[in-house]
Amino acid sequence: MGVLPDEIKPAMEGVIPSHVVTCSLDGTPNTTVISQVYYVDADHVALSFQFFNKTIKNVRENPHAVAWVTNPESLETWDLELEYDHSETSGPVFDAMDMRIEAIASMTGMTGIFKLKAADIYRVKSAAKNTDERIPLAAIDK
Amino acid sequence: MISEKLVEFIHGPVFMALGTRNEKLRPAHTFVVGAIVNQDRETLTCFVSQSRAEKIMGNLEDNGKIALTVGSPSHESYQLKGHYVSLRPTDAKDVAIQEIYRTKLVALMLQYGYPEQIVKPMILGAKYQPAVAITFRVEEIFLQTPGPEAGKKIA
Repeated sequence: MGVLPDEIKPAMEGVIPSHVVTCSLDGTPNTTVISQVYYVDADHVALSFQFFNKTIKNVRENPHAVAWVTNPESLETWDLELEYDHSETSGPVFDAMDMRIEAIASMTGMTGIFKLKAADIYRVKSAAKNTDERIPLAAIDK
Repeated sequence: MISEKLVEFIHGPVFMALGTRNEKLRPAHTFVVGAIVNQDRETLTCFVSQSRAEKIMGNLEDNGKIALTVGSPSHESYQLKGHYVSLRPTDAKDVAIQEIYRTKLVALMLQYGYPEQIVKPMILGAKYQPAVAITFRVEEIFLQTPGPEAGKKIA
């Protein structure tokens, strides 16, 4: 049995953007908002490499990363501890991510700007559901 | 110094994510509900739920390095980097800022056409109290809007 439970899968559909934090070797943290943390299997996720940015640079010198993902149905959030493993520029994970990114781009007016260069594959070290970060839906004035 | 234009953008409102790291260079994430650029325009105070803040207090005391991403639904975004200055419980004025922030963010998302049945629970359902006010000195600012210029240092 892997680290990622089935119930986390809706949080990896790219409906609500995710947050990712990395750290350079000189100790400077970097925070970014990304379209999707892509579910690969119960022990791995992929992040898109679209531009050579600080996240891409950081994990190649310090592989540790954390991601915060949100389930769009329940709005529960999860913290993932990740470790960069390798990068793929072809194959089923790359193709599926590429198609997904094109779809997100076309729906958010970013066609031609979002373009997948590689799928960065991370090993998931832990996945923890946050239980104290939501106000019960019944308490919200709708 | 944070430019007038960026102050307006940050108070916009915007979505925010705070990053810190520990002594072993392991990063940590914290979500933020409300922030205000202080009058000196060199420090920024952001509001973080107490439970989330407890996870990063050690990082703030160990090295104090902070990165804050601020982004709008238009995709325009910036990253502010600097060093921790102080932490205190939120007061009534802070809570008022948080409540204005939440209301404005819902209105902004509705303007962008996101459905009310998603936007309201997503934004208003995020626990924002009890919270602490974390102040940090902004030393560098980077453009983070998606595109080839992302990562460019602008201040």
